[in-house]
Amino acid sequence: MARLNVEQALSQLPPLLAAHLQLAAAALLVGALVAFPLGVWATRRPRLLAPVLLLASVIQTVPGLALLAVMVPLLVWIGALVAPLGVGVRAIGFLPAFLALTLYSLLPMLRNTVAGIRGVDPAVREAARGVGMTDRQQLLRVELPLALPTLVAGLRTATVWTVGMATLSTPVGAPSLGNLIFAGLQTRDTAAVLVGCAAAATLALVLDGLVRAVEIGLTRRRRGITIVAAAALLLLLAGALLPLARRSEANAAAQRPVTFGAKPFTEQLILAELMAAQVQARTSAPTRILPALGSTVAWDALRAGTLDAYVDYTGTLWATVLHRKDQLERHALLRETANELAHRFGVEVVGPLGFENTYALAMTDARASALGVHRISDLAPHAASMEVGGDYELFGRPEWRAIRGTYGLHFSAERAMDPSLMYQAIAAGEVDLIGAYSTDGRIAALHLRLLEDDRHVIPPYDAVLLARPRLRGERPQVWTALRELVGRIDQGTMQRLNLAVDEQHRPPGEAARAFLRQASDRPQVFQR
Amino acid sequence: MTDRGLELVGLTCERGGRALVDRVSLNVDAGELLVLVGASGSGKTTTLKMINRLVEPTAGEVRIGGRRNDDEPAHLLRRRIGYVFQQVGLFPHLTVAENVAVTPVLLGWARERIRARVDELLALVQLEPARFRERLPAELSGGEQQRVGIARALAAEPPLVLLDEPFGALDPLTRETLQEAFGALQRELKLTAVFVTHDVVEAVLLADRIAVLRGGRLLQVGTASELRRTPADPDVAALMATPQRQAQALATRLGGSNA
Repeated sequence: MARLNVEQALSQLPPLLAAHLQLAAAALLVGALVAFPLGVWATRRPRLLAPVLLLASVIQTVPGLALLAVMVPLLVWIGALVAPLGVGVRAIGFLPAFLALTLYSLLPMLRNTVAGIRGVDPAVREAARGVGMTDRQQLLRVELPLALPTLVAGLRTATVWTVGMATLSTPVGAPSLGNLIFAGLQTRDTAAVLVGCAAAATLALVLDGLVRAVEIGLTRRRRGITIVAAAALLLLLAGALLPLARRSEANAAAQRPVTFGAKPFTEQLILAELMAAQVQARTSAPTRILPALGSTVAWDALRAGTLDAYVDYTGTLWATVLHRKDQLERHALLRETANELAHRFGVEVVGPLGFENTYALAMTDARASALGVHRISDLAPHAASMEVGGDYELFGRPEWRAIRGTYGLHFSAERAMDPSLMYQAIAAGEVDLIGAYSTDGRIAALHLRLLEDDRHVIPPYDAVLLARPRLRGERPQVWTALRELVGRIDQGTMQRLNLAVDEQHRPPGEAARAFLRQASDRPQVFQR
Repeated sequence: MTDRGLELVGLTCERGGRALVDRVSLNVDAGELLVLVGASGSGKTTTLKMINRLVEPTAGEVRIGGRRNDDEPAHLLRRRIGYVFQQVGLFPHLTVAENVAVTPVLLGWARERIRARVDELLALVQLEPARFRERLPAELSGGEQQRVGIARALAAEPPLVLLDEPFGALDPLTRETLQEAFGALQRELKLTAVFVTHDVVEAVLLADRIAVLRGGRLLQVGTASELRRTPADPDVAALMATPQRQAQALATRLGGSNA
């Protein structure tokens, strides 16, 4: 079980909390500025009411994570459209998270505005007209004051939702308390997960409470309460938003940090830290890591130039980026992938790191020995009584279909789960077989046996270091520093690094720096 | 308001091809209280609402003091016409004083003048200003609420007051008290008023003249005794006979149970 290292998690908290508040506050502010007027307007035009509410509801039904992820390709597309005008669009980071959260915050505020205004007693409305109010006076003096509690309730709902959903903005590259949660889940750092969740919940409750206090002050005409609560709220928001303004000024002037991406698993975190540490050591340029990016988010961000570099795998690029179905031998695949990426996207394959991380079917040694299974083809007589576990992607991937088709395997159940749970599941005997990652340190630690792909169905998955278009020309020292990592990490090294983080709970950055120190003592230890 | 008071000329309101109010013409003299009576659906409320343009007529016209009621924006017209209706419609977020002051505030009266006027009106509707000024509508009884409703309608010294079944939702004792109070007030202030009710007793007690409506048409206008003595229509006769009929029925029941 994970060791609790609360202190370490707390040390990361302040900047993430500030970023989280910035994101949520900016989204709520803009959301409110859109939703309240839109809601009022819709009540004035009954024909628009249904479509407006429907649209907001549809946005709401999109799962939060998907809404965030969808913003990235959307912004890449918009960026491509406006590029000729000389306008740059950042497809990952603050912008997609901000847009998604803003959209998400609309519904409760919109719906409550409409409900609040329509809920005003028709007799009161007729009286307002009867005493000679104009439409505008009726709205401002009667309808809005009477709808205020409902409006505020909408704002409070939106506040809690937005602060909660902001934790999901980590995969699109916007720092938030989600960084603690995502990284903590990946590296099984329970303390980080708990600290992240507790901080997000506290932030939501504090904001909700302050908004509620303002409401109480207003409706009970208690000026003291109103002023104190409003001041606290404004102070909190100003504290969060001012650095944002300063940062965008500063950003324009200062050198942009070299930005590395990581997909949401331990190995990727370690490799991102490794690249960052290497670049820092060689160039002293500022660096930044965007952790837990969705698979396609990382690729889109690299293409758009928001990421400077990240590590991907040839088999993944071949199938999901190049949409190729043909099979090539390992080295040919590497060459062809590099050519295609350079030619079609301007993305440069700096080089292979020296290991493959492929899907591999794994069983416990004990079980495999008992059944006499060494190769995947040995599974055929047992498959029908076996349950297999895999990550969220595995069962939808072409190689899984290839494995089942070529080897003629029909398992009794295919269970998709979080990768870290998958290893627990096989250790506990809840599944018979898992789709493991060949570099995973837990393979050795849990005495798992990787089954040989004797009919060569699983494509090669060489880890390759990818650089964004024009990085080599624009920042040659960075490129050179990254080039030095090529061919330096073999399968065993990667397994050890993964194990250090997953099982021994060393922070990924620490593991990466320790490796670099050793490697510089013994240059070029690992030959491909 | 000049002596010409209120004139309705061929006033008509059609909805979906059906005439809710069909060519109604009548005059109300300055200082006169006219009661519109009729059953539900007779068009009396629609007629009333066309006077202050809460409902727009499809034909005909309304003149107030000789001036057409559609030669200015509706909200300006309504500030010059007091309006009281059955559901009262006090603004629940405003105090009694703020409710009464609504129209004077819209008209931009000076603060001191409004204060004085509010107190004057509260006294007029027999609500002690010091006790009631700062209360919220929810803290008042139904009768008190309607007193505030009347005060609000009279606040800006309107030359014309419209009342749409103002006492319909009150209990009988409160209703009687308010009827008497309003009758006295109307005579004292010489209000020009149009009062809608389906209660013939109320009409007879309050009206200078009564107009009887049926199916959107005006059957007859006259004083209560004129309608009683020379009804223009069997329905008018039947309607005007109801108070007496009810009184006899009551006497029989009460007398019978005693015997």
